[in-house]
Amino acid sequence: MMERLFSLASRLVLRYGILRSTVRSGLSFSRTYPVWEILSKARAGKDAVYPFNELEEYGRALLGAEVYEPGYPRFHTLDRLVLLPPAFTPNRLAKMGELLREPLYTDVRTECFVGGFKVKLPLVVGSMGSTDVASRVGVELARGAAKAGIVMGIGENVATMRGYDRRRCRNHPSLKERLMAYLENMKDGFGGIIIQQSVEDAYDELWNRIYSDVDLESYFEEGVVGFEIKVGQGAKPGLGGEVKVSRDLALELKDKYYLPEDPEIVIKDFYERHSAPGTFTEAILSSMIRLLKNNYPRARVWVKLGPYRDLVRVIKICSDAGTDAITVDGKEGGTGMSPIVALKDLGLPTLACLKRIGDAKRLGVSSSMVVSGGLYSGSHLVKALALGADAVAMGRPFIIAVQAKGERGVTNFVEAVRAEAQMLTSALDKYSLKDLSPEDLGSLDKDIADALELSYIYS
Amino acid sequence: MYYFLFKFRHHDVYFTNLFEQLLNHTKLKAFVMRSVEVRYHPSVRQLESMTSREGYLEELKNLLSRSYRLVRDERYKVVYRMQAELLAAIREYLDSRGFVELLPPIIGPVTDPGIRGAKQVTVDFYGSEYKVMSSAILYKQMMATTLGKIYFASPNVRLEPPETVYTGRHLVEFVQVDVEVAGADYRDAMNLAEELLCHVIKRVREERYMELELLGRELPAFSPPFKRYTHAEAVDILRNLGFKTSRSTEIPWEGEKILSGLHDEPFFIYNYPRGARGFYDREDPEKPGILRDFDMLYPEGFGEAISGAEREYTSEKVLERMRETGENPVKYKWYLEMLRDGVEPSAGFGIGVERLTRFVCGLEAVWMARPYPKLPGIYSP
Repeated sequence: MMERLFSLASRLVLRYGILRSTVRSGLSFSRTYPVWEILSKARAGKDAVYPFNELEEYGRALLGAEVYEPGYPRFHTLDRLVLLPPAFTPNRLAKMGELLREPLYTDVRTECFVGGFKVKLPLVVGSMGSTDVASRVGVELARGAAKAGIVMGIGENVATMRGYDRRRCRNHPSLKERLMAYLENMKDGFGGIIIQQSVEDAYDELWNRIYSDVDLESYFEEGVVGFEIKVGQGAKPGLGGEVKVSRDLALELKDKYYLPEDPEIVIKDFYERHSAPGTFTEAILSSMIRLLKNNYPRARVWVKLGPYRDLVRVIKICSDAGTDAITVDGKEGGTGMSPIVALKDLGLPTLACLKRIGDAKRLGVSSSMVVSGGLYSGSHLVKALALGADAVAMGRPFIIAVQAKGERGVTNFVEAVRAEAQMLTSALDKYSLKDLSPEDLGSLDKDIADALELSYIYS
Repeated sequence: MYYFLFKFRHHDVYFTNLFEQLLNHTKLKAFVMRSVEVRYHPSVRQLESMTSREGYLEELKNLLSRSYRLVRDERYKVVYRMQAELLAAIREYLDSRGFVELLPPIIGPVTDPGIRGAKQVTVDFYGSEYKVMSSAILYKQMMATTLGKIYFASPNVRLEPPETVYTGRHLVEFVQVDVEVAGADYRDAMNLAEELLCHVIKRVREERYMELELLGRELPAFSPPFKRYTHAEAVDILRNLGFKTSRSTEIPWEGEKILSGLHDEPFFIYNYPRGARGFYDREDPEKPGILRDFDMLYPEGFGEAISGAEREYTSEKVLERMRETGENPVKYKWYLEMLRDGVEPSAGFGIGVERLTRFVCGLEAVWMARPYPKLPGIYSP
């Protein structure tokens, strides 16, 4: 009797505990991350650029409430920079000459090339993999990104965990469903899709499989498919992926992944699944890039780097080997399934990565440089481009957007970011995103100003 | 459909200026070719006009869906007889030089990953996965260590990318004679390869001149040594012709065809850059980034004949090279353990039997060079 009571009580505690931790994590996420800002963009698209629909927030902001508090970690971010518009605008005059009317912000050109793809906006849906939160919405996200004309990545382990063409898990699309959802919704050749292959995906030769898939042949011919070598992830550079999997899946995957508990011996509902981060040296990485170009001549080659201390050198090596685009994921990025210590203390913040991107560019880099990690607005896009990036990748904003309003949420969000970027750029007297430069930026901190060679706004 | 069934044609006219032809090819439109004497065999030109025709793929699918009809055609009968002769000639040469022919492995836990964009075939093996050999490469080193000189007549399967259906030189299922010599370096392997080819050509010219005549094939006698270019030199030749080629990758198929069209005799390209080949091609210890490997190409636009190399034979070096394909080395456990146990340094090559047949018979495409061909993306008997 006592035993049963005890077990009931412990179950209640457990359930309550789980519930509480869910609520807590939900609350802390909305407190530390600008969920509402992204939600309103996802709901309202361009209209969300003005806080008209959130009058309450608007008012609070005016009163100096904590609207800008979310998104402030303990290290410096792009939010420590401001944009510095000039009063005299000779470029606007030139643009007026071209248009024969006063230019508007909508005249700012955002179409460009990123990593060998023609895009509507230099914004990339960062590669998200098999993790529950990204996997479930994978198809809608793909449709939205394709319709918005921006590049999308598909992360590691999707084929191995969720199936290549046939589904392995309920409610989770297979890799090919996500791929086709993207490719079949592209418009006028804008966009492109890149696919990662983990050490474990390589076991089944994922890239070879994609490259020899008859259904994808015409898309390779069009040049809208690429492969992304992953050399790390923002929040956990140097670490592999950890996921929990069901027993059925664990039994299937036990030859390919490292499972600390053998599902044939230990009976549990869920098992930890570890995936290796992969070993790299200069020779390995550059040969890998060449091998990719050699084996898949019609695929673009992208490389995703974590926030490593030797970024400048790695970027240069990737570029020299002929990579189409290099994404640098700052430590605020790729937070899904990352250990807390890594989230806190491992790797360079995004702003520091941007500094290194600038340094690498001075050495001569021919690849497109993409930066990501805690970026979520048109202002972040403009600041990153002004610091030398060619595009920005985002992850969480797209997950929130797609969960709020499906594929429409994604297109709305992109539309909003585009409008913001156009406004800011036009205010800076530039009419193409490509023309943004460090002169457009000012720093609120002296040390950042010195390090990034920006003007210190109070001096 | 009748197109492929026509009887014996006589190819004695060579078209010397293929400028126009090259420019017509979509892949080459972007390049401005300077006037140069590219001599393609009429069959090679024939293939170009066949593949550029609307509906080629459909025709091919129709034809191959009843490939049992093809094998009854007179021309094909001659081709098959010729193929038997070629295999016999290869065996005659190798056997006379002390090589031991071994039975080829068909399935195993892993196979050759160093193939351009092609997928391997997986089969269920009592609940575990086995691969169908895409080449016997992983089995050659230990057999050479044991027996000194060995070869397999090895059937291989590679699910090539669908685009390769147009190249005229890719088959999903094919046979290669896979040769390995313990203690040899890649130059020894090149010498062996050219002598082997010369012997084979000599024998068919002597024994099968009737068939050659029926096929309308004028086959000159070749004599070693063949011309040898480093990969860098080959790239320079192509670049001078206005054909864009990377120094760090294999030469694209179109590029190989052009180089091949510039020659009347087979020739070698050696020292490919690291990253262009599988982990088993040995990196030159004195020249990092350069591999001690080679390809032999047929003349007249027929392209690649033989691919060979000196082998990496230490597990440390192979582990590093394996990472190039992004794989977990645990997959190759038995192979790595074998290397750690110790194998002798060796070198070798593989010669594709269907490609050899295509060249000797002067056929338009390699699928004509074997019964019941399997082509990328085409389901056929």
